[in-house]
Amino acid sequence: MPKRLSLKPEEVEKYRKSKLIDHPDVPVAEKTQRETVPADYRFVFPEFLPDPEYDRRDRVRERLERDDMYRRRMVIEIPEFYVGSIMAVTIADEQTPSKESRFVGICIDRGGIGLRAFFILRNVVDGLGVEIMYEMYDPTVLSIETLLLEKRLDNHLYYLRDAPPEYSTFSFDTEAIPIPKGTAIPVNPLKVKLNPRPWLERWERQDLKGIQELNLPQKFYDRAEIHAEKPWQKHDLMKQYRSNINADDTEQVMKEVHQRKKAIDRENTRRRKEAIFKNKK
Amino acid sequence: MKTICFLFSPVTHQIRGKKVHTALKVTTQALATTKDKSLTKENQEFLDNVVNDLYANQPEYRSPLADGPWKRNVYTKRTLRTGVLAIKLGNLPQWSKDGKKITTTLLQVIVDNHVIRYYSPEVFKTQAGWLPRWSDKYGSVVVGALSTDPRKYNEQYNEQFLEAGVPPKRKLTRFLVTQDAAIQPGTPLNAMHFRPGDFVDCSAKTIHHGFQGAVKRWGFKGLPKTHGTTKKHRSVGGIGGKTIVSVWKGKKMPGVMGGKWRTLKGLKILRINTKYNVLYVKGQNIPGETHTFVRINDTVLPLRRKTENPPPMPTWYPEDESEQLAEEYFDEDLFQFTNESLDLKTGTK
Repeated sequence: MPKRLSLKPEEVEKYRKSKLIDHPDVPVAEKTQRETVPADYRFVFPEFLPDPEYDRRDRVRERLERDDMYRRRMVIEIPEFYVGSIMAVTIADEQTPSKESRFVGICIDRGGIGLRAFFILRNVVDGLGVEIMYEMYDPTVLSIETLLLEKRLDNHLYYLRDAPPEYSTFSFDTEAIPIPKGTAIPVNPLKVKLNPRPWLERWERQDLKGIQELNLPQKFYDRAEIHAEKPWQKHDLMKQYRSNINADDTEQVMKEVHQRKKAIDRENTRRRKEAIFKNKK
Repeated sequence: MKTICFLFSPVTHQIRGKKVHTALKVTTQALATTKDKSLTKENQEFLDNVVNDLYANQPEYRSPLADGPWKRNVYTKRTLRTGVLAIKLGNLPQWSKDGKKITTTLLQVIVDNHVIRYYSPEVFKTQAGWLPRWSDKYGSVVVGALSTDPRKYNEQYNEQFLEAGVPPKRKLTRFLVTQDAAIQPGTPLNAMHFRPGDFVDCSAKTIHHGFQGAVKRWGFKGLPKTHGTTKKHRSVGGIGGKTIVSVWKGKKMPGVMGGKWRTLKGLKILRINTKYNVLYVKGQNIPGETHTFVRINDTVLPLRRKTENPPPMPTWYPEDESEQLAEEYFDEDLFQFTNESLDLKTGTK
């Protein structure tokens, strides 16, 4: 058994809290405010939740990382979006004559933790499928807009690569369609018809809800059953605990996000007003 | 007062089939004493308070800093300053002003870094662990971190910290210093020992993988997967030549992987957080897993040493700062998250 050469996270915390060591407090969400945090914040700001790997967690690093994220959000508006939303992103690009490039597409995946958070946009330009990965906190990103805010039936839409191009073709002149405030995010029940095989992945082995009947020979489904998740695995509590941030930590982080969001929103509206006045002149 | 020599002598264990590496740089010579369970809760709390007040009030633990500081010398080309002990917190991406992504490693200079002892070159020469090639160029400094309850250690260990007037430390390490960088025992060290833009060397122990085969340890291919190969898929294969009837020294074979001291040289400090004493060092491959101890000192690479704009000697003192200490200091090339997004239209980056 290899030797552990590092301190455990709880040991480090013990030293930080010890009276013999003059370590500054690591501030968390204020307790005085009795506001209820909306339950869906976990899905609106998923990148604020720390890495569930216990040995790699560190309170000070998470604090510093989140501070940087709030600072960036004060400068640029990062709107709410989900997999399936249609988005437009403008980045600073040295290679183009205008030094800027804008791309419109459907968000086919989103992930990453903290400053590493990213999303992937897909569009078909002149008959060629294009996918671009953008980092949310990259300073070269000049603006992010959600043109159509909606969800799809799946957590990722990589199967659009094997679907006809009309499913992922969007005009660059698409105008934003805002949804009324306070309404639930609409879920698009669209079922995609895939091209015939061969495919990039074995889609029949994945539990996908957004695709139509595949009509494959029975042997494909038999193999899929062998590789499928065993029925008892979804009740494995330890597995869930290890791969997720627990409820207490989630609540604490989301409470902090909720408190910081007010200042960020105020800053964003101020900037939007400024932009309107500039255009009038 | 007793003077006890820190044990830094290289030790080798002759165990067949097991390679144990020498050069013990960080040591703890601590023996845990058994806790008295017969004490009541109130008495236990009383003792805890005594321990916390001990180093503030008792004359026995008076800090030597009260006698006034030592003379501060000028930094020269040959100067070797002391280093600091840090723990690795993990990696974070940062961006440069050109818009390039830089992966940095966060190193927290543990808050209670203290100089425990300074040995002049003459004294250091007589100690165990001294190498003849050092001649009389270097003295040594013992730096400790992580203050602990003295009841956890034996009397002999605790006495070593009387000179510096600090609580016993869990981790101790030794740095070579030249005589002009002599530093007074009891001096606290923090992240401001370095400045953004400085280059440092970071040494730590690599991740210990235990006894591993040649495929994992050296990236060998192994033997064929098919064509009748039996039980040899991850084997080394041949180890000797046709003419030489022996195995070459240093032949790559299975063995203990990792757990060795490794140094990364010439890493740039991009950002310093003074509140939590965190250094953002460029590079993602500082050895070891999260929360390993890392020794940080000025780089030995001659072209990256800043002789024209010298660092604070022998370390940074709060009196040096004329204004109030800012919470964060940035390198010139690093993008700050409070700034506007990059605008390439105007031609200014």
